[in-house]
Amino acid sequence: MNNNFTRLGIYLKFICRREWVVSAVWIACIAGLSAIFAALYPGLLPTQAETVQMAATMSNPAMVAMMGSVYGMESLTQASVMSQECLIWFLITAAIMNIFLVNRHTRADEEPGRLEMFRALPVGRLTGGLAAITFAFAVNFIVSVLTAALLLALNIGGTTVAGAFAFGCAVGAVGFVFAGSTLLLAQLCSTANGVSGAGFALLGSFYILRAMGDVGGNALSYISPFGLGLKTEAFYSNATAPIIILLIEGAVLSVIALAVCAARDHGAGVIPASKGRANASRILRGPFGFVWRVSKGAFFGWSAGMLLLGASYGSVCADIDRFVENNETMQKIINAGGGNTLLDGYVAMIFVIMSIVAGVPVTLTAIKIRSEEKRGRLEQIFARAVPRVKLYGAFIAIAIAESAVMEFLLAAGLGAAASGELPIGELMKAGLAYLPAIWAMAGIAALLVGFVPKLTALVWAVFGYTFVVLFMGRMMDLPDWAAKLTPFGSIPQLPVQEFTVIPLAVLSLAAAGFTALGIWRFKERDVG
Amino acid sequence: MEIIEIGGLVKKFGRFTALDGVDMSVEQGEVHAFLGPNGAGKSTTIRCLLGILRRTAGTARMFGRDVWKNAVELHRRVAFVPGDVNLWNNFTGGEVIDLFLSLNGGKADKKKRENYLKLFELDPTKKCRTYSKGNRQKVALVAAFASDAELYILDEPTSGLDPLMEKVFQDEIGKIKAQGKTVLLSSHIMSEVEKLADSISIIREGKVVESGSMADISGKAKGRTLEEFFISEYESR
Repeated sequence: MNNNFTRLGIYLKFICRREWVVSAVWIACIAGLSAIFAALYPGLLPTQAETVQMAATMSNPAMVAMMGSVYGMESLTQASVMSQECLIWFLITAAIMNIFLVNRHTRADEEPGRLEMFRALPVGRLTGGLAAITFAFAVNFIVSVLTAALLLALNIGGTTVAGAFAFGCAVGAVGFVFAGSTLLLAQLCSTANGVSGAGFALLGSFYILRAMGDVGGNALSYISPFGLGLKTEAFYSNATAPIIILLIEGAVLSVIALAVCAARDHGAGVIPASKGRANASRILRGPFGFVWRVSKGAFFGWSAGMLLLGASYGSVCADIDRFVENNETMQKIINAGGGNTLLDGYVAMIFVIMSIVAGVPVTLTAIKIRSEEKRGRLEQIFARAVPRVKLYGAFIAIAIAESAVMEFLLAAGLGAAASGELPIGELMKAGLAYLPAIWAMAGIAALLVGFVPKLTALVWAVFGYTFVVLFMGRMMDLPDWAAKLTPFGSIPQLPVQEFTVIPLAVLSLAAAGFTALGIWRFKERDVG
Repeated sequence: MEIIEIGGLVKKFGRFTALDGVDMSVEQGEVHAFLGPNGAGKSTTIRCLLGILRRTAGTARMFGRDVWKNAVELHRRVAFVPGDVNLWNNFTGGEVIDLFLSLNGGKADKKKRENYLKLFELDPTKKCRTYSKGNRQKVALVAAFASDAELYILDEPTSGLDPLMEKVFQDEIGKIKAQGKTVLLSSHIMSEVEKLADSISIIREGKVVESGSMADISGKAKGRTLEEFFISEYESR
């Protein structure tokens, strides 16, 4: 008799109970965002001429590498252009959702010993794994149907029932492949961190594989689930074969994963955990070394992200004129006119946005001491001969270094991908000008950590406001002072605007003042 | 000489009074047991002593110096083991021990470290996420014993240890005492207290309700076992 799946129903209910809020948010985000993106297209491409023009920019190899190969050039519609430009991002989002979702209910539950309590009850050996993959399948199914339904409801030019479902199902099916592969990784790796790390590495490799395949026009695209998902050619050929193949892949991966699970010990991974260092390296010793050690992962991760972000914005530079010409919304966003070239306007605009993004890791480093405090680890540090100012000072020092590295990499990535269209010196100047604004954000964060540690998260509200005002503000015609309220809004937007040193100096001073106050208060207050 | 002197120590969190006038003194070279029911204020007192919490009123000194103003200098002479040892998942035990030793300032004694690793049977190459509660405590204990401290502040340091390790722990405390060093030991394990303590303070609802040498306490117990005596002290009168 096979008892491997005993109590599957109860277990599924238990997962639903724990998961429904988070999954509902993910589902709403994926389906909702695809609707929002689609809704922009009638405004972006009001006439057929513009649709054709936009499509021409998509054939640029850099764009193909980023978003996939073009199709259906002879019968372009708003919907088919939307799909060619947007689908890849939703495939990636669905992949991320599934990595987190499946990991949360497999290895992340097993590692701290929570699953063990279930296994001590009359619950089957594979109940947990099967329940997780079943739940993931259901979530992906809902994502597919809801996305398709919203696209149909919007009914932008060229929408068809088959197209809407091809789009939605591609998202869900790619998501399911990642659910299956994560289930397998959860059997192989012995830690939840290992599973998500391997999951994201897989995601990155598949994306690159697809880019290589699409640019070279070869079979590599079909090996990658992303490439396969795009081959549905939504709103054109609406192929169903890729979706069926993806679903089979996901199912096969799941079956293999469950077979591996049945054969292994609870708590162990197939890949044995490697032995670590018995001694701390020279670098880890001392407060500064400690701070570097707990921050460096994020530091390198975000560095790579910034380089890619810069490069992806840079890849459209060559086509920017074609992109924006005759397009009022775009011109408004870019703030064209007034004697500047479109390219300059574009560079000025993306530096605002990219710098706000670059502020995120810097702020994370500035508030890292608070998350250490919340986890109850600071008392052991401060029970030793460590001055509080020194420890927080070390975090701030790394945050400052991080800010410079982030802006440098953004400018470098942008310059490299724009391949000579833009002088690198000018880009560096435009990027580094934002440093005082980033420091001011870190200063606000330090102030919160010092005075109202429980409200540290408020700094993200400041970020949210900044992003909305500076990005959407141009489209919504907000008054100038709304932008000037934020640190980023007061920075001269090079190369379009004149460089003035005063706002930079004022912001730097304010940042220094905020930070000093925050650190001083941190020294005086209770820890823990 | 008094290593720890606490007088009228008050700590309020908003409107909640956690410590309501704690008085306590610990002499050099003694093992002072710090007892009391859960939530009575033991850990809060210890955190105030370490300058991690800022007291609302009263005095608190170690080595004759104010614990808040001189926290960093004082900590060079103090070793601390918390009740809940929270570590960094991606550090190995060995790395954490070295980190803690390096944060104390002076040069770490490598031989001492190896010796304690062996004594406590701790594998320093494992990541902290894989350690059980007892093994996390061992990390903190090895770091504490391998440091060159004069005062050991131990907050329920053995709640996750097995009897063998408990014995190792007790032997080490004996050695520390023999060197004329001082220990403040918060514990719920009566046999441990009975074996190790020279003097005792019992805290309840933020106040020290009983204190004195082991001999005093035995006199007050009037033939009851220590455990019976403590339970009667823990219960509100």
